Amino acid sequence: MSKRLSVTLLTAPAMILLLGVFILPMLMMLLLSFQDENQAFSFHNYSLFVQDPYYLEILWRTIRVSLWTVLACLLLGFPVAMYMAQATGKMRGIVTMLILAPHLISVVIRNFGWVVVLGEKGWINETLMSLGLIDQPLRLLYNELGIVIGLTDSFIAYMVLAIATSLYAIDSSLNKAASILGASRARTFFSVTLPLCLPGMIAGTTLVFSLSMSAFVTPALMGGTSVKVMPVIAYEQIMATLNWPLGAALAFLLLGSTILLVTLYTKLIETKRYKEVFAS
Amino acid sequence: MTKVIDVELRGIMKKFQSNVVVQNFNLQVEQGEFISFLGPSGCGKTTTLNMIAGFLDPDGGDLLIKGQRMNGVPPYKRELGMVFQTYSLFPHMTVAENIAYGLKLRKVSKQEMQERVNRVLGLVKLPNVADRYPKQLSGGQRQRIAIARALVIEPSLLLLDEPLSNLDAKLREELRDELKRLHHEIGVTTIFVTHDQEEALALSDRIVVMNHGFVEQIGTPLEIYNQPASEFVHTFIGKTNRLEGEVIGIDGDVLTLRTTGGMLVKAAKQQRTVALHEKVIIFIRPEKIKLTDTAVSEEANRVKGHLQLASFLGSYTECEVKVGEHTLSVKVQMTDSSVDRQEGQTVYCQWNADDVLVMPAGRG
Repeated sequence: MSKRLSVTLLTAPAMILLLGVFILPMLMMLLLSFQDENQAFSFHNYSLFVQDPYYLEILWRTIRVSLWTVLACLLLGFPVAMYMAQATGKMRGIVTMLILAPHLISVVIRNFGWVVVLGEKGWINETLMSLGLIDQPLRLLYNELGIVIGLTDSFIAYMVLAIATSLYAIDSSLNKAASILGASRARTFFSVTLPLCLPGMIAGTTLVFSLSMSAFVTPALMGGTSVKVMPVIAYEQIMATLNWPLGAALAFLLLGSTILLVTLYTKLIETKRYKEVFAS
Repeated sequence: MTKVIDVELRGIMKKFQSNVVVQNFNLQVEQGEFISFLGPSGCGKTTTLNMIAGFLDPDGGDLLIKGQRMNGVPPYKRELGMVFQTYSLFPHMTVAENIAYGLKLRKVSKQEMQERVNRVLGLVKLPNVADRYPKQLSGGQRQRIAIARALVIEPSLLLLDEPLSNLDAKLREELRDELKRLHHEIGVTTIFVTHDQEEALALSDRIVVMNHGFVEQIGTPLEIYNQPASEFVHTFIGKTNRLEGEVIGIDGDVLTLRTTGGMLVKAAKQQRTVALHEKVIIFIRPEKIKLTDTAVSEEANRVKGHLQLASFLGSYTECEVKVGEHTLSVKVQMTDSSVDRQEGQTVYCQWNADDVLVMPAGRG
């Protein structure tokens, strides 16, 4: 009894804080999203969204950009995680630090760094043009590609660390066992390593997807004014148009879509077999 | 009938950086033989096994399997079976899938695969676990499945890397007998790495005793036990009484030795010659010494002492007898009439001159 009491007391400050600054404002926004111009209860904002191809295209773009980001993080991050898993303790520490170091700098500054690199007069285009490989500068910025590059840079660390954690847990003698049974290195990777780091891949992809869906700064800076995503238009409705109810509805539509997609994804991948193998 | 050599190591050498971990290893393993690499940790036995498996490449010498030079050939092209200390079953596959893994890679038909999986499951006496996952099995069961997985591909050579070390004492003995039975049944050439002398003695046709990267001795369990080539081999295998002394008389086939404590010991002529007045080390196995109450004796050696400690261990009693400055360890079998000895009692230790092993001091 006294233990339960002390647990309650110890968690109380955090609970009160969460309730005050997170849960209550969320509920207020949810109520707000169901108001029309006359502050009467209505589904107006939601029906507006569903009927307008402009909004639907933006939701689809948000999902599309997030999926590309997940794919880029997975493909670029996996080799890094593999390297970390087989590295010595010291090297592992150094790589972890290198991966996390960019996060010490504000995302705004990092995005401007990308603008310098990817812009029409950025060094990638300048180099390619001076080598004569292209006549026209490539459009690497202010489009979906630009957003994906920026988001990948922002979130790849989460993917690497999630996969690496899974890889650390794999007994290295499993690779030996596969090898002696006749499996080449590629075969061992696809039949042993990859299935066994599924939990890490699920954690990494889910995390990066959710973060990409709700990212605001990077799409705003690297997508420019014409390529918008859900968080950006929600922000505009609230801050520029001052249409708070519509902004709130957009935010909840984004949240709902993310939860729905993540749930479907995990349901699909976490089969009966997966649960039997990985349940603790 | 000519002997078929399955594995041959010719002057195998391995170093990590400047550290030589295996030195000039020469060995021929005959078809169907059960060979153990025995030694303390760090003696190079596992490194040698890893070279045979192909996980490591020798820095010198040649490795031949079935007459073919294997240096540089990757493990997956060697057609070997291997069982690891940590079982190393694939946790995301059922028992049947684990066993079928090697068969799938060899493109065996579905029906044959099923038959062979069932056959090896029967062989390791676990016919009803095909659909379980490794974590639903006990340690002993997992290791049996690991053995089944190694055997199902009908390997040219079976490598066992301390397969019993992770099991508790009773299971270890059970699985040890199981390994012996399997080897009799299948007759696959087997190399077994262990630091446990009992396992090596019980299972092997021949034992390779290793220490600090060197092969100390290669021989049958009996040879290793009774005619150790070095002090290391003698002390590593079984318990022994070690005394230091000097040769004070050579009379035909009998040596007379005097220990540092002044005890006189008669020893039969040794394989290695020792000179008069040479400093020697004297070994007597505890089970070779008999305890009696009277001084009447037919043995060459007889000394009087006090029984200091008697530990009853079931089938035998381990005694410590104080003889002058020395303390002799004596193993008394339960069949002996001398069952109920009192500590502090005066006893006579007797042993045959043939049971004394003499080695020149300071030479291995």
